[in-house]
Order: sequence, then C-alpha cells, then structure tokens
Amino acid sequence: MPNPRSARLLAVALSLTVGLAACGSSDDETTSPTAGGGSAKPALAATTLNGSGATFPKAFYDAAIDGFKKKEGSVTVNYSGGGSGKGRTELAGALVDFAGSDGLVKAEDKASFKGGEFLYIPTVAAPITVSYNLSGVKELTLDAETTAKIFQRDIKSWDDPAIKLLNPDATLPATAIVVAHRSDGSGTTENFTKYLVKAAPSWKLKSGSTVEWPADTQAGNGNAGVAQIVKTQGGAIGYVDLSDANTQQLVYASLKNKSGKAVEPTLEATTKALEGVEPKPDLSYDPLDSANPDAYPIAAPTWMLAYKNQTDKAKGEALKAFLGYLVGDGQKLAKENDYAALPSSFTDKAKTAIASIVVPG
Amino acid sequence: MAAAAAPAGERASLTRSSISGGRRARNALATVLIYGAVAFALVPLGFVLYYVVSKGLGVIDGGFLTDEIPAQVRRATGGIGPAIGGTLLITGFATLLAVPLGILAAVYLHEYGGSNPVAAAVRFLSNVMAGVPSIVMGLFIFTIFVVRRGDKGFSGLAGGLALACLMLPIVIRATEAMLLLVPNELREAAYALGTSKSRTIVTVVLPAALPGITSGALLAVARAAGETAPLLFTIGAARQYNWTLGGPNSALSTQIFSNAQTGFPAAIDRAWGAALTLIVLVLLLSTVARIVAARFTVR
Amino acid sequence: MTIPSAGSPATGSRLVRQGPRRADDAFRLLSLIAGLTVLVVLVLITWSTTREALPAFRAEGLGFLTSGRWAPNEGAFGAFGAWSFVFGTFFVSFIALVFAVPASIGIALFITELAPGGVRRVTTFVMDLLAAVPSVVFGLWGVSVLAIQAPGFYEAIGSPLSAIPGLGGAFSEPYNGKSFLTAGFILALLIIPIITSITRDVFETTPRGQKEAALALGATRWEMIRGAVFPHSRAGVIGAVLLGLGRAMGETIAAALVIGAGSQTGLQLFASGDALASRIANEFGEASGTWRSALIGLGVVLFAMTILINLAATAVVSRAGRKVS
Repeated sequence: MPNPRSARLLAVALSLTVGLAACGSSDDETTSPTAGGGSAKPALAATTLNGSGATFPKAFYDAAIDGFKKKEGSVTVNYSGGGSGKGRTELAGALVDFAGSDGLVKAEDKASFKGGEFLYIPTVAAPITVSYNLSGVKELTLDAETTAKIFQRDIKSWDDPAIKLLNPDATLPATAIVVAHRSDGSGTTENFTKYLVKAAPSWKLKSGSTVEWPADTQAGNGNAGVAQIVKTQGGAIGYVDLSDANTQQLVYASLKNKSGKAVEPTLEATTKALEGVEPKPDLSYDPLDSANPDAYPIAAPTWMLAYKNQTDKAKGEALKAFLGYLVGDGQKLAKENDYAALPSSFTDKAKTAIASIVVPG
Repeated sequence: MAAAAAPAGERASLTRSSISGGRRARNALATVLIYGAVAFALVPLGFVLYYVVSKGLGVIDGGFLTDEIPAQVRRATGGIGPAIGGTLLITGFATLLAVPLGILAAVYLHEYGGSNPVAAAVRFLSNVMAGVPSIVMGLFIFTIFVVRRGDKGFSGLAGGLALACLMLPIVIRATEAMLLLVPNELREAAYALGTSKSRTIVTVVLPAALPGITSGALLAVARAAGETAPLLFTIGAARQYNWTLGGPNSALSTQIFSNAQTGFPAAIDRAWGAALTLIVLVLLLSTVARIVAARFTVR
Repeated sequence: MTIPSAGSPATGSRLVRQGPRRADDAFRLLSLIAGLTVLVVLVLITWSTTREALPAFRAEGLGFLTSGRWAPNEGAFGAFGAWSFVFGTFFVSFIALVFAVPASIGIALFITELAPGGVRRVTTFVMDLLAAVPSVVFGLWGVSVLAIQAPGFYEAIGSPLSAIPGLGGAFSEPYNGKSFLTAGFILALLIIPIITSITRDVFETTPRGQKEAALALGATRWEMIRGAVFPHSRAGVIGAVLLGLGRAMGETIAAALVIGAGSQTGLQLFASGDALASRIANEFGEASGTWRSALIGLGVVLFAMTILINLAATAVVSRAGRKVS
C-alpha cells in the first residue's frame, strides 16, 4: 500500500497534469499563433457568417477563412465574391452579414442600408497589375497616358509608336490589342479608373464601378474572369489584382509612377504607396498615384463593410472575432497570398472600429 | 413532285442505268451531306463527352465526392459533396411540388375539362409557361420571395420553387399525352361496374398511364437537375452540407458555372468533376425513365 | 354515374351513394385547382416581373427598347437601353439556327430514310444523350476548350474572308475566342436535339404511298425526299425551327460563359457581344434600384419575345398536325 504522503503528492501531481493538459488540449488541432491564450476567452457559439463582394481581396479572404476556421472551429464563414457592387447591394438589403468592397458607398446610397450605420474596416492593400498576353514580350513598361489610350481604344495595336517609345529595346509585333475589363460592378475597376482620372489627362471614360467601355472590348466576371481572358487570348491586356495574375501566371507591365520611375507591381512598392497616407476618420484612404518615388502607382485599398449595430448575439460576436482576425493574426497570411499587410497605424484604428461594434446582450 | 412523269409514248426505263449522271451526282451529294450533318452533331458531342469523362475521372475520388466545397477555390483542395446534396435536395423538393400538381392538372385537362374554355386556357398557358426562359423563373422567385425574407431569403426552398415552376408544364404535357393513350374502353368498363369518375381515374386510368407518366416525370427531373439559371439568384452560396430547405445551399450546376467563370486551373478541374457527376446523375434519371416507359407500358 | 348493377352489393342505400359523390366532387375540385395553379403562377410571373420593371420603363420610355446605351452609373438613375442585347440575342440565335437547322434536318433524314434499324437506334440513343447533357456542361467545354483554341482558327478563316466587299465586314477583327460565333455554335449543339426530334416525327408521318410512288417512278432517294417528304413536312419543320429558336433565345448559361460580355451591335461574328439572358445573369447580383428594374425589364422583353416565337411555333406545328390527321 502506497504511503499516504506520497499518495497525496501523486494526487496533486496528477490533478496538475490533468489541469495543464486540459488547458493545452485545445491547441492540439490548431496551428494558431496565439495558442497560449486559448483558455482565457470562451468559445464562440456555433454559427455561420455569410458575406459577398470584392474579388480583388478574395484570395486573402479565402485563406483567412481557412485560418479562422482552425482557430474558432465553431464558426463557419462563407465569402462568395461577386464584385464590390454585389457586396454593397447585398449588405444594404441585409442579405449578408458582411461585405467586401474596394470602393466607398456613394452618399446617396447610404440611406438604402437597412441595418443603419455601417463601418469600413481596412484589411489589406495590393497592386492592380496591368497584365498582358503578347508572345515573345516578357517585359513591358507603360505610363498612365499610354495605358489610358490603350484602354479607351485610341491605341489599337501593340506596335504603336507610343508603346515603342516606352520600350525601345523590345520587339513589339503588330498584333491587335484586345482590351479585357470587368463585366460586373467592380471596386477594382473603380480604383483603376480613379487612377487614370488622376494621372492621365487624356482619359475620357471617367471613373466608377462600371464604366462605358468601347464596344470592341471583352469583359470577364470578377478579377478571375479578366485574368482568364488575358491568359487565353493572344494580344490581350487587362487590369487584374496581383494574386489572380500570379495564379494564372500572367505577365504584367511596369508602370511609371508620379516621379517618373518605372515600378513593378510588388508588395514592397505597394507598402511604399501607403507610407504617409493617413486614413480618414471613417477609415477610408486613397493610396493611388502616390508621390513616393518607389511606390507603385496603382496600389489599391479594400475594406470589409459591416453594420455597427448587430441584431444577433452569436453572429455579432462571431463577426467581431472574424474581423479582428483579419486585421490581427490573419495579416500574417497576406504576404504569401500576394497581398500587402497594412501598417500598424491602419490596423490599430481598424481594431478600435471593430471594438465599437455593438452586439446585443 | 419531282417524280419523272413519263409521257405515254416513251417507255421510260426503270433500271438504274437510265438515271442521268447529274441526278445520280445530286443524290450522292445529298447522301454525303446527310452523313456530314450527323457527323457535325456527333463530333462536338464526342469531344464534350471525352473531355468530361477524361478530365472528370482525373479529379473524382471518394474525397472529391464527399468533401466540403473549399474556401480557396484556386487550390486543388476540397470537393463537391455539398453540391451533390444540394442538387438532390432541391430537385427532390421541386419534384414533390411539381409532379403531383402536374398530374392533377393534366387529369383536370383531359378527364374533366375536355375542350371547355377554362381547360383550353390552362392548356394554352401551360404551353406558354413551358417557353418561359429559365432565368425569368429565377427572377420571379427572387422578386416575390427572396427579397422579402432578408437574410433568410437565399434558400433551397426558393430554388426548389423556381425549379418546380420549370418542371410543372413539362409534367402536365407528358401526363396529358399519356392520358390520351389510355383507351376509353377501360374507363367505360369501370363506369359500367359502378365506379365513380374519381375512383376510375385513380384506380384505372392513372395506373394504366403510370409508366408513361413516370417516364415523363423523370425526364422533367433530369432537366431540372441540370438547370443553373433559376438557382443563380435563389439559393445563394454555401460551402457546407445543408440538408434543410432553409439557408443558402449549393448545387452541381451552379458550382460548375462559378468555377468555370474563374478560369483558375484547379477550379476548372473541379468543374469537370462536377460536370461528370451531374451528367451521370442526369443520364441515370433519363435511362430509368426510358426503361420504365419501355418495359411497363401496356400495349 | 353510380349505376347499381346486379353484382355490386354496396350501392343499395341512397346514403351510401352520397359518400362517393362527395369524394368525387372533391377530387374534381382538387384537379381543377391544380389546373388553375398554372394560370395563377403564369399571371404572377407576368405581373410581378412587369411591375418590378416599370420604374425602368417609365424612366426610359420607348427608348428602353431602342437605345443601345447601357450605363448604370450615369447620372442619378443610369441610362438603360436594351437594344444591344436584343440584337445580341437575335444574332446569336440566328447563328445557332444556321448551324442547327441543316444539321437537324440531315440527322432526321438519316434516321428516317437512310439508316438501317440498328444504326437508327444507336443514332436516336446518341441524340437523346445530346439532349440530356445540361447546358452548363456545354458552356464549360466552350469556355475551357473551344474559346481558347478558336481565335487562331477564326483568324485563319476570317482574314481572307474579310476582304470580300460588303459581307466581309462580318469576318473582320477582333478575333475573339469568346464571341458571337462561339456562343452561336454552342447554342446550336443545345437546340439540335429538339429540332431533330420534332422534325423526325414530322418526316415519319409522310404518307408511305407518296414515297413509294415516287420511288416506283424512278426517282432517286434524294428526289423522293425532295418531292414527297419535304413538301409534306414544310410546316412541321418550320414549327420545329421556331421552337428551337425560342429555346436558343432563352438560353442563359452556355451563352453567358462564351459570349464575351461585350457591347458590340454590328454584325461581327468574331466580336464579343452580349445577349438579354446572359446580361441579366452577369449583372443582377449587384444591381439595385433603377438598375435592377432595368434588368428585370430585360427579362420581360425576353419573356415577350420567347412567348411570341413559341406561340408562332405551336400554331404552325398544330396546323401541320391537323393537316395530317
């Protein structure tokens, strides 16, 4: 028979071990970076969050959804894309719980949002590439004026003198240029055309989530659709987010920025564009056509939209957790998916905004 | 009539050698063109089936058929399990709505209505309804059902309603055609034995027409299972299994469409896998329909 | 109806007869209600879609049908004109018919006149297979195979043909994989089974006596077809073609994937354009306000077009059927 003192020691040791194991067991299945803090917060109630909207950041959101699922297994998030316009419309009609949008809601549309006041939560930024498909030409330099003229069909052939001027060493074939743009309402279109309005005096088509493109152009659904056109149609040129361009292994042009330097669409150049930009009180900001000499000129912002006053407790808590993940631990997923993580000045303000979301008790 | 009318005086020889070279050439050309027409339809069909089978088989395995739809569509992960479940559930629900209703409506048209004005109107409108573009059905259900229900709008229920609207005229038409084929003697014999009209229909006429009705219904189900447009604005999008009619759902057809739109290689592969699954499902239904019609029809 | 007969014991008392009578009436009422459901649903469809589209109709007036401009962001409400999509729908359907009608007639002739029994069964089976393939699968094949390999082919046949004065304009650049021609071809594959099936039925009703008479008089098979089968079947074939046209006009998904979503309104085969149903499918998810009304308005226009075509088809086919029987 074991002596009573050692039995008590054994009992204490056992209970300590069991207690520590219980604390740590929730980490066995997760690869979450914040494993240690798991025991402090109660688990979220099982629920599903549905969102739609911008395809520009979709690759990041998809990866974040998987990462978030590993962290909070009881919450399932669905993000169906469809374009910034779709996200804004569906959130307005309260058909979804959150919306992705690369552009801001027009003032006159705000009244149509059934849930009242909504917040902009900036999540990531990324370059909009000008991708093209031209056999034998692996490097290309363009500037705002030439890009504008190509997209509004003033320049129709790849061997046009304007393009030759910017690329004296390249052999440009006499292929017809096929312009690819978005068929759906797109924040990417909005940011791309906003840039052209700013930087190209001869741009005639103005800016917006849809634009009246010339008749002899092709349209694709979502950033992926435009990427697909550029991938498969010889002579095509289109504006595509970096992630989709890389997934389809597209070739993209370097653009001359405001300082005249030709810059490739890299994440570093995008981060440069964010330097010195201060988000407004509603967390909107504009990094397009940055004055920074190393910045890529078409660095585009994107936000998540959510109602400030939530109506469902479980969904509200889950939403706050998901948005918090996007601007918190999820930022680590940005780079490997071809998105630029936001500087802490942005994410701190975002976290404050998320904390202000009101969830019914 | 192009037949050569031989004048009474001449003895037109009927042997092949008397056919002029020109006529023979035209005949040969026509034969070639007819074979060409057959090839024109068969060759692309062959290509499509070849692609579906070869690419689909390359993707399909047990995991593909049961795994959830992935969040990251551009990666070769996940599967289409929920889409299979969604298609079965939504099409099944639409069938439960459309088939009994369609059979009853056809019974009215043939057994009671005959050629009275109401029946004529219903028959005419049923034909009109068969021609309504499937996307208009989807828009219709969206405007009267989905928008009014806020975040409960997108659902299998809404999708099923849209598909039922699509199936109804097909079932009515097929059932009426079958009822027409049931010999009147059967009905009269039943009346002569004292059976009421409704009893006759339920116990004599419908069973006699049942093989054809079943076949027609199965063809309508096969058609509905393959439809995409009515589901686009009614079922939303879900990545998990949803065996209820509430809340967003997915379907094979909408999965094929959305994956095809992205153009990512992994997504296109997934679309081929879903396409093969859908074709197998549709073919199964069509084949059963034809077997039932052929085997059980009382001649 | 309940005539008591010597052999049926249950029909003696008057009370028993009330039961079956009530059930009888109830069943009849039930079937009448089922029939009226069709009426109700169709009226609902017409009423609700037209009502939703009214804001756009009122804003644009007749210009909704005639204007080719589609600009959702213009001004406060946007400027909406359906013409380029109406044109696209007709153009693509016309291309589909150009492919499908000769093919269908040929296949129907093959099945009814040329093929021996076994081959006939196989061909019919293959046609049924073609009919069973969902349109989205054809669309998938179109966008991932055909639209990618087509541009080279289009340029090869288009460049020389575009030199023809007048008609050549239809073959000029751009040579897009996703274009009217690609969409028209895919649609043709979709409507061939319908046209073939009806045409075959109509050909089969040609009076055998007429066919045998022609052959007996020394006609070649082609002459017999031209002389006996075609004249008899003309109305039926026209009806079948119109039904196929109606189906092609309403087809959404296959066209949406390969038509290119352009706004071309010229007769250019290899350019990207758009049709009514595919434009609705692409833009509806995000539209609100007048834009959404305008898209539903496109649906109403499409609905009206397909109704007219289907009515014409039914009238022609039933007239042909009555002529035979």
